Amino acid sequence: MKIKSFFRWFFFRAKGDSPFQRTVIHLVLIMACIIAVYPALRVFTVSIRPGNRILSTDLAIIPKDATFDSYRIVLFEKDFVRWLWNSLVITMATAAIGLILASTSAYAFSRWRFPGRTALLLFLLTTQMIPAAMLMVPIYILATKLGLINSWRGLVIAYSVSSVPFSIWILKGYYDTIPIELEQSAMIDGASRMQTFLRITLPLTAPALAIAFLFNFMTAWNDYLMARIILQQKEMLVWTLGLRHIQGQFQTQWGQFAAAALMVAVPVMTLFFYSSKWLISGLTLGAVKG
Amino acid sequence: MKRVLLFIVVLLVCMTTAFAGGQKEAPAKAAEAVKLALWTQEGESEGAFQFVVSLAEAFQAAHANVTIEVLNKETEALREDFQTASLAGDPPAFVWTVNDHAGPFTTANLIMPVESLADLSKYVEGALGAVTINGKVWGVPISSGNHLMLLYNKDLIATPPATTDDLIKVGKQLTKGDTYGIVWNQMEPFWLVPWLGGFGGQVFDKDGVTPTLNTKAMVDTLRFLQELKFTQKIMPAESDYGTADTLFKEGKAAMLINGDWSLGDYKNTMGARLGVARIPKISSTGKWPAPYTSGKYFMVSNKVTGAKLDAVKEFIAFATNQANQLAMVEKLTRLPALKTALDTDRIKNDPILKSSSDQMVVGTGMPPVIEMRCNWDAMKPELIAALSKTKTPEDAAAAMQKAAEACVKTIK
Amino acid sequence: MPSISLPVILASLGQVGSTVLYIALLTAVLEISLYLFFGKLLKHKHTIPIMLLTPAAVGLVLLVIYPILYEVALAFSNMSLRHFQNPTYGIIQGVNNFRTIFSQPVLKQANFFPIFLRTILWTVIQITCHVTFGLGLALLLNRKMVLRGLYRTLLIIPWAVPQVVATLAWRGEFNFEYGFINIFLRDLGLKPIQWKLHPFWNFVAVNITNIWLGIPFMMVILLGGLQSISHTYYEAADMDGAGPFSKFKNITLPLLKPIMTPAVVLGVIWTFNNFNVPYFINEYELETSDILVTALFRAAFEYNRFGFAAAFAFIIFFILLGFTLLYMKITKFDPGLEATRKKAA
Repeated sequence: MKIKSFFRWFFFRAKGDSPFQRTVIHLVLIMACIIAVYPALRVFTVSIRPGNRILSTDLAIIPKDATFDSYRIVLFEKDFVRWLWNSLVITMATAAIGLILASTSAYAFSRWRFPGRTALLLFLLTTQMIPAAMLMVPIYILATKLGLINSWRGLVIAYSVSSVPFSIWILKGYYDTIPIELEQSAMIDGASRMQTFLRITLPLTAPALAIAFLFNFMTAWNDYLMARIILQQKEMLVWTLGLRHIQGQFQTQWGQFAAAALMVAVPVMTLFFYSSKWLISGLTLGAVKG
Repeated sequence: MKRVLLFIVVLLVCMTTAFAGGQKEAPAKAAEAVKLALWTQEGESEGAFQFVVSLAEAFQAAHANVTIEVLNKETEALREDFQTASLAGDPPAFVWTVNDHAGPFTTANLIMPVESLADLSKYVEGALGAVTINGKVWGVPISSGNHLMLLYNKDLIATPPATTDDLIKVGKQLTKGDTYGIVWNQMEPFWLVPWLGGFGGQVFDKDGVTPTLNTKAMVDTLRFLQELKFTQKIMPAESDYGTADTLFKEGKAAMLINGDWSLGDYKNTMGARLGVARIPKISSTGKWPAPYTSGKYFMVSNKVTGAKLDAVKEFIAFATNQANQLAMVEKLTRLPALKTALDTDRIKNDPILKSSSDQMVVGTGMPPVIEMRCNWDAMKPELIAALSKTKTPEDAAAAMQKAAEACVKTIK
Repeated sequence: MPSISLPVILASLGQVGSTVLYIALLTAVLEISLYLFFGKLLKHKHTIPIMLLTPAAVGLVLLVIYPILYEVALAFSNMSLRHFQNPTYGIIQGVNNFRTIFSQPVLKQANFFPIFLRTILWTVIQITCHVTFGLGLALLLNRKMVLRGLYRTLLIIPWAVPQVVATLAWRGEFNFEYGFINIFLRDLGLKPIQWKLHPFWNFVAVNITNIWLGIPFMMVILLGGLQSISHTYYEAADMDGAGPFSKFKNITLPLLKPIMTPAVVLGVIWTFNNFNVPYFINEYELETSDILVTALFRAAFEYNRFGFAAAFAFIIFFILLGFTLLYMKITKFDPGLEATRKKAA
């Protein structure tokens, strides 16, 4: 019986939560947040600790001799802001292109039965099975032959495609949950296929589109391997390369490293914050139906 | 619709700006325009990348027809990408890198010998030795050194120990509470090699490619390190690069063994408290420990010819001339590779650089052959095992040799 | 001075914008010709799906097919530094490469199969933890409550911090002297742990790091999945008098399946091939913490044994392909199933 009541408060919607249950839920979430945040806070500590030390027995989050020097250096004395900007432009563009490619392809996989469909879906998975590092030599050679070295063009094309397999799978799974009858009734009302897709299906898949966009974004944003072989000019670098660039062979400026890493997380957090509106979208099926 | 139009207009404006920007750079010069790419593994944190760029800019100012594009790549990335770019037929003209890249680059036949590119007699022999393979020199030295030495905290210890017996004696006095006598990166065989040299050992046979790790010298070395750590207890239980570095900076270690690359950083954080000396002489053998010496080198792709090659040649001569070598000493606290630059008062009167060059004299050139990689990888786990006392020196040395031999076979 | 200015911004927008325009133009041309060819000329019944799929397919062919074919060729060659610019290709070289993997220790002592088993263990631990904790947190967050936005934002931090940086930070935390776990242990009067030297604890350390890194991703996906489940199902179940556990089992899980299965399958593939975490946390290169990809890197990549590396990569590929097919068979996951929802309803 105890298990049952455990499940009751654990899996159930808020309506039925008692004050005690709410407290427990909050406590669990607070614990989880501490575990998630604490290691990141330690990175913050490194970023404000003077004297280039990554290690210290001091557990205080803000050390006594704290300084924002590392931030000042990274912001004003290095090209880091420019590299961040480069990353942001490239990543936003590619995440959008990737989303368009994936949402249309996934729709085809979900709504049509054509020969080779299962094989193609499986093939998408197989593209993820070869260790990425293995593909870099041939991609380098291909990029050189196509004249895409040292230009963002190559990077934009590569990033747009690289997370498409994942996005297609997630989006297809989501499309599958949307009853085909909804579309059929819209089409009976005279809407075209295109209109049905844009007006009915896409809004309903907002959470999955948000996930796919976030994922596209994160893949491109954190990429190092691909950027390393394609970009060869200091001004054109993306932040992953830039971070390496401001290091030395043996001496790592840990303070700057940490400061830069946290600044990198800011656009990502902002994006997450704004996308959560879509992620927890009000346009769930229930809302439409009811 | 309006918004779409607006977007297209903005886009067009941007594109024109971009293209206009591109056109301004188009060269319109009389002499044959030469464009060179130089890859370097120097990063910005030591000011080294900026130094490379300043050299390139100064050279371009004097040679209007030459453009040099300097690009930073992390050390391993530089090696991999240079190989791949050569395979794709589009390598950079030359690279500024560490000596051990000469091994893979010559094995894969990607670079040219440099005898015809520079007057090598002007450079320090120790630096040339670290890029000599099969009797040919494959890199023009830029700096010499990269060697380990003894750094000490003058607040804790007035005069550094001259022999290992002294080291043990003062080490025991200094080790108390959370303070240690001596620290270094115990996890990397690069820090094992000096001691091995002090006990009369070398990692290769006379042919330069056959591993000789299971020797009496190696066993003695490991036993000596075990004694320092477990019998005399003057070293911390576990210490990697970062731990050793932090202990020394926090004043919790009297002595540190670290490389010349770290001198600038310690000078900044420790100021006048920093002292530099040779690693103490081994009392039982009477020999100085011999750290590996190497440096930074220009290596030139063998696909470069004609006007490009001439420009490369000129740039190398320019970058390693007396003035620029001394500028490098000033900016990077590194020892020059040019004999005349090493022989100046600037070096002789600087206590830190003097001690550093003093240490370098007793070092040995680090072997650049690809078999060295096998040796490193074979030594590392066994060194760690010996220093955590999970293996006896004899077993560790035997295991090193076995692993190195197996590895050398796979890269044949 | 910050390194950014209006001309820089405009130039970068122009460059990316022109590329996007370029791609859009190419796609339009492609779509129109596809429409004319399949739709007008052949009157093919699958014209629309063909038009929908082709752009992504073209990109994937460029990015993946050519490199894979190249690697296939390499697997049947003796390419290494000594045979770099003109390697020999042939069946014999291929057989040699594949035989070497199984006949000799892959690393210094470890053979292929122990590493393979460890990779499976690693993958099972990771996926179990990611899904369990991810689902738990998603369920907790899937309700109206105060501070929900804050929790969600904070919980996402491990995913938002760049992975390599987070991994290096964790490596610092496993430092014997200075890591916070050991400092806590010392403060509690316990013996500190040798995270980097002790084989068991090192494997634990690698696992801790990756669990921490991987939960937010699963949480976000499953939260999205939970959003697709309509209240009406639960209300209907309430009327039938179903208990919470049966609702979880009969409504939540089946309706999550279309989202969860791809996430799990891809999660397995990525975890199996996760390089950064096992490589960087295992600072002292203990063979007991290596999984197949890191072994591939240490044994083949670092020594430039290109042919051998390619063959090794294909072994990994076939293992994963086998797993995926098996998994789909066992869970009866038919990629073309649209009936799940109806069955549950």
